[in-house]
Amino acid sequence: MNTSLWQKCIDHLEGELTPQQFNTWIRPLHAVEEGESLRLLAPNRFVLDWVNDRFLGQINQLVCSFNEGATPQVTLEVGTARVAPAVAELAEKPAAQVQTHAGFRRKSDGSRSASSVINLRPEFTFDNFVEGKSNQLARAASMQIAENPGTAYNPLFVYGGVGLGKTHLMHAVGNLMLKRKPAAQVVYLHSERFVGDMVKALQHNAINEFKRFYRSVDALLIDDIQFFAGKERSQEEFFHTFNALLEGQQQIILTCDRYPKEVDGLEERLKSRFGWGLTVAIEPAELETCVAILMSKATQMNTELSPDVAFFIAKRIRSNIRELEGALRRVVANARFTGRNITVDFAKEALKDLLALQDKLVTIENIQKTVAEYYKIRIADLLSERRSRSVARPRQLAMALSKELTNHSLPEIGKAFGGRDHTTVMHACRKIRELRDSENRVQEDYSNLLRTLTT
Amino acid sequence: MSSSGVSHLFAQLPLGVRLRAGATFANYYPGANREAVGVFEQAVQRGDEACVYLWGGAGTGKTHLLHAACHAAAARGVPLTYLPFSELEQLSLAMLEGLEALPLVVLDDIERIAGDVQWETALFHLYNRLREAGGQLLVAADANPASLALGLPDLRSRLAWGVVLQLHELSDEDKAGALRLQARQRGMELPVEVAGFLLRHCHRDLHALFALLDLLDHASLAAQRKLTVPFVKSVLEAEA
Repeated sequence: MNTSLWQKCIDHLEGELTPQQFNTWIRPLHAVEEGESLRLLAPNRFVLDWVNDRFLGQINQLVCSFNEGATPQVTLEVGTARVAPAVAELAEKPAAQVQTHAGFRRKSDGSRSASSVINLRPEFTFDNFVEGKSNQLARAASMQIAENPGTAYNPLFVYGGVGLGKTHLMHAVGNLMLKRKPAAQVVYLHSERFVGDMVKALQHNAINEFKRFYRSVDALLIDDIQFFAGKERSQEEFFHTFNALLEGQQQIILTCDRYPKEVDGLEERLKSRFGWGLTVAIEPAELETCVAILMSKATQMNTELSPDVAFFIAKRIRSNIRELEGALRRVVANARFTGRNITVDFAKEALKDLLALQDKLVTIENIQKTVAEYYKIRIADLLSERRSRSVARPRQLAMALSKELTNHSLPEIGKAFGGRDHTTVMHACRKIRELRDSENRVQEDYSNLLRTLTT
Repeated sequence: MSSSGVSHLFAQLPLGVRLRAGATFANYYPGANREAVGVFEQAVQRGDEACVYLWGGAGTGKTHLLHAACHAAAARGVPLTYLPFSELEQLSLAMLEGLEALPLVVLDDIERIAGDVQWETALFHLYNRLREAGGQLLVAADANPASLALGLPDLRSRLAWGVVLQLHELSDEDKAGALRLQARQRGMELPVEVAGFLLRHCHRDLHALFALLDLLDHASLAAQRKLTVPFVKSVLEAEA
C-alpha cells in the first residue's frame, strides 16, 4: 500500500471540510498504515465517536478512490503516536508510572529501575529558587526535609496564592532528595492525576496495584490538593495512603492555594492530619525578590537582563511571579523577533499593552471599592470625616495602596479620599509601612488586598 | 442601500463560510500588529513557548492566525488539535482527555467558557498536563487574561504565564489593505477606490467585509465585469 495514502486523504479533506472541521477533527488523528489496513488513532473517545459518525464514510470513500484494486480496511481507535500507554498497561500500573518523562527510567521488563523519578522537573532546584522574606520560612523547611526526609517535618504543607513558587519549591525538595540518595523513589503529581489514576485503577480492577504503588514511594509530592475538594472516594484513598506513608516515615509534601482548614469540601480528618507536620505559607514576593527572580529566569532563558530593566518590569507589573515571568517572556520574545537589545525603553514598548491595562485596571475607585468590601464597610465611610479605628485603618490602607498601585500624585489621592490633604496621605503610607512590620494582621490584609487588586 | 442591511445579511453566514480555507501567515494582513504577529509566528515555528495567548476584538484576525498556526505546524508534521469554543455545542469536556499527547493544542474563543467552573477546571488540568508533557498551547480570546471573567485564579495565572499578545483593530487604511490582499488571494483585483467605497458604505467589521468579497467574487464572475465602483454599487443595491 502506498505509504502516503493518509496524506492524500488529508489533502483532499482539507479542501472539502471547513478549516474548523478539518483542524478540530482530522488534524488530531494519527495514521498508522500497516499492510492493507489504515489505523487511525484519535486522542480520546469523543473525537473517535465524532469522526466515526461524520467523517468515516467520506474517509472510506477516499481511501477506495486512491487505492485501485484491494480496498484497505480503515479502523478507528483511541491512541496516540507520542506517549501511548496501552489500556492493558494502564490496568497494571498507575498512569503516573506509565507516562514517561525526562528523568524517569523504566527497565524494559516494565519494573521500576533503581531510581524512579516521576514527573520531577529537573529545572526546579534550590539553586534557582530565589529566597526572600516572603518565602524564607517555606524554603528553610523544605531544605531541612530534603536533607532529612520522613523525619524532619511530615507532612510539609505549603500554602499560598497562585504563582508564588509552591510548585518550584516542591520540585526542589524532590531534586535535592534525589541528589543525596539517587535510588530514592520520588513521585510528583498534581492532585488531578491522583484522582485520574484512581479512577482508571478502579475501572481496570487494579486498585490494589494503585495502593501498592503509592504506598511504596520514598516521597510523595502532591500539588494543589484543593482539587481534592468534593471528591470523597479520592480523599478516602488518599487518607489511607497518607497514613501508610506517615507510618513508614516516607515523606509527604502537599501544596494548596489556602490554609488547610479553609478548604471547603475536604474531610475534617484529612484537614487535621495535614496539620500534623509543618504548615508554612508563601506570601507574595516583595519588589527586590521579584527583581531577583526575573534576573534568575532571564539567566535560565539565556538572556541578558540588566537590573534596571528587571526593576522596571517588577515595579510596573505588580502581580504574581507567574505573570511577571509572562511579561519577561513577552519582552524576550520581542527582542528575539526584532533583534534589538533589551533596554528599559524597549521593555516599555514591548509591554505597552500590558502596562496600559495595568494602569487602567487599578484605579483609586477600584481600590476603594475593594478595600471597603474587604472590611465590610461602605465606600462612603472611607471618604467620610469619621476617625474611628474601624474606618481609619482601612482608609489608611486604601491610601497606601493607591500610592503603591497607581501613578496618581499624593494631592490627587488625598482629594479622592474626601478632599484630604496630601500630608494625610503621606502619614497614612508611613503608618501602614510601620504596621506591616509590627502587626501580622495588617501585613496579611495588605498582602491579600494587593493580590486581589493585581491578579 | 444601507450599510446595516449588508452587515445584517452577512452576519447570518456560518463561520465556516466567512473564514476561507487556507488561512496562512502569508495571507494575513498585519497592519499595526506586525510585531505581535511576528512574535506569534516565531513562537509557532520554534515551538518553544509553552503558551501563547492572543487577544483582541472581533475581526482582528485571531482565528485566522490560529488557523495559520495549525497550517504551519501541520506542514512540519506536528499533530495538533483546534478547539473553537464559539461552537461549544459541538464540544464536550471529554474532548480534552488525552490531548497532552499532541504536541500542539489550539483553543479559540476561550471567553466562551469563562465562568463555567467545569470547563475552567478541565482547561486548567489540560494546561498542567500539556506543560508536563512539553506540548505547546495557543489560545485566543476577546480579552486579556486579567480581564477574562474567569472564576479560577489558577487558570488565569497560567494563561498569563506565557507570551500574551494583543491584536489591535486595523485602521481603515489597513482594512483597505487587508481587503485588497484577501481579494488578490481569490484572484480578483480590488482597486483602491473600490476598497475605499466599501469602507465608507458598508459595515467596517473585517468579517463582514470579507463576506462581501464572496458576494462580489460571484457577481463579478457571473457578470464578467471588473470590480469598479459603479459595478459594486449595483451589486450591493441588487442585494439589498
